[in-house]
Amino acid sequence: MTPLEIGLWSFPVLMALIFMRVPIGLAMFLAGFVGLSLLPGGLNVALAKLKTESYTTFSSYSLSIVPMFLLMGYFATLGGMSQALFKAAESWLGHRKGGVAMAAIGACAGFGSICGSSLATAATMSRVALPELRRYGYAGGFSTATLAAGGTLGILIPPSVVLVIYAILTEQNIAKLFLAAFIPGLLAALGYVITISIYVRLNPGSAGVREPVPYAERFRALVDVWPVLLVFASVVGGIYLGVFTPTEGAAVGALGTGIIALVNGGLTIKTLLESFTATARSTAMIFFIVLGAGTYNSFLARTNVPQELSNWVVAQGFAPIVVLIIILVFYLVMGCLMDSLSMILLTIPIFYPAISAMDWGSMTIEEVSIWFGIIVLIVVEVGLITPPVGMNLFIINAMEKTTPMSETYKAVMYFVASDIVRVIILVAFPSITLFLL
Amino acid sequence: MKRFMMGLAHVFALIGGAALSAMILIVCLSIIGRTGATIMHSDFMQTYASGFATWSLEAGLGPVNGDYEIVEALMAFAIFAFIPLTQATSGHATVDILTNALPPVVQRWLAALIEVVFAITLVIIAWKLYDGTVSKHRSGGTTLLLQFPLWWAYAGALVGAVASAIVAVYMGVVRVVEAITDTVIVEAGGGADH
Repeated sequence: MTPLEIGLWSFPVLMALIFMRVPIGLAMFLAGFVGLSLLPGGLNVALAKLKTESYTTFSSYSLSIVPMFLLMGYFATLGGMSQALFKAAESWLGHRKGGVAMAAIGACAGFGSICGSSLATAATMSRVALPELRRYGYAGGFSTATLAAGGTLGILIPPSVVLVIYAILTEQNIAKLFLAAFIPGLLAALGYVITISIYVRLNPGSAGVREPVPYAERFRALVDVWPVLLVFASVVGGIYLGVFTPTEGAAVGALGTGIIALVNGGLTIKTLLESFTATARSTAMIFFIVLGAGTYNSFLARTNVPQELSNWVVAQGFAPIVVLIIILVFYLVMGCLMDSLSMILLTIPIFYPAISAMDWGSMTIEEVSIWFGIIVLIVVEVGLITPPVGMNLFIINAMEKTTPMSETYKAVMYFVASDIVRVIILVAFPSITLFLL
Repeated sequence: MKRFMMGLAHVFALIGGAALSAMILIVCLSIIGRTGATIMHSDFMQTYASGFATWSLEAGLGPVNGDYEIVEALMAFAIFAFIPLTQATSGHATVDILTNALPPVVQRWLAALIEVVFAITLVIIAWKLYDGTVSKHRSGGTTLLLQFPLWWAYAGALVGAVASAIVAVYMGVVRVVEAITDTVIVEAGGGADH
């Protein structure tokens, strides 16, 4: 077999491994390691590479952002910021039709601005908002679906762990990607609020009513949100303005939320140690996937597959937009089965060369890369709320055991529709994503 | 045995957490030092408080020297220290949609096989990292700014890599025993996340 054939064969083998429940990071590592051993040089080259590969992958200054943002998210939860956000949003929106659900979305967006992960946002906000939603007579499936969708804002609104990984894979500027994600993130929140107001009109009785709150109390609730604004402004603002590097921003954010949690009494020795173990579990999971993807992608690069694939796609003369749509549909389908980070790490090194090699008219390569990154991020996040393996749905349903999963599935489809409409808008008008840059 | 392995995994996770905290503090100190130095260098300070400005700069006010290198070394250590817990609690990302349809016996044996392969992989990674450490020791390379030997950082990472391999081998044995005896010794999730 030629190296190219070995490279091509590795896809079905890798997929088979993943579907046999081999952990995704391990599957990619094995496919890359065995593949490399089959190439000229054989096992010795593969083993020799491993002497430094694991160390150099893990000892990355730019990737140190990931555990820092994760720890920051746990500290933000301990600091009571989720409660403050929900209370503020609820006092302003709660009396509207479906208002408590809208408030949950607003609070998720706020929490997303200090947390880089969807699952953490979904879990944290559910703990705060689910009891309130049920108390005001919101239907079970509607409540869980709202929070699952709201959770995806955690990763879309900067800071975002997945965007950091995308930036590193494609050698793009993290600060610019964060900036570009901002408007699509707000659009997402707005889209979900509109979805809620449509849902409660189509399904009367799915939401209860709540008395308006006096304005004095509303402003008081708003004032309580200041720690969130402070953290967001210093972390994301500092990164945008170039005051610090993204890693420095993450460190400032982690320390800042830690101090706020300490002052609020949420951070004790016990909860600090719990934050460490929770961070440890997620971090090791992510970095093992990063290691596996690194091994697999360096094997693929040696077989020339990404290059050949990109040449082939360009030679076929497909319209770029057609290729983009095919890729997005692929992500939408795969997103139903696989987590977003694994998918990005696995596919971006293969798809990105083709996308950046095509002719996008007046857009520069940098603009195409940023636009493509944001759209891919949104599409893979849809997978978090679609059956059968939407992780956000599982996390929330585990907290709200009285609601059958099928109820959640039914309601969440409205939010999926809103996501798809947003993707179409962003694909059709790249300037929405790019005009802040 | 189970208590020892779970304890080992937890202790390493906490040490890794401490390393992560150290990274955060070093980076923040570096920012404070850098900002302070900029202020002391400013025209205002140089004109109106030049004695204090000069004194503080000479006392070493400025970014932490080699903060980048320290973060990198601590990162490698922390990530390897985090792996044992993820291993012990089966915390890795998987796609289980298809295998859920298989009969329980097949699922158990599949889980055992995968855990054994995972253990072999982590043993190879630790073994090769040991080789890497030895060759860095022999070549005597140091980091650029702080000039500390690179093999120290490798050796630090190796401690976590060995712990990961030990826990992974234990988990491999556990899953095989579970498959043979049809029992549950270590449940997935490990009850460790609360």
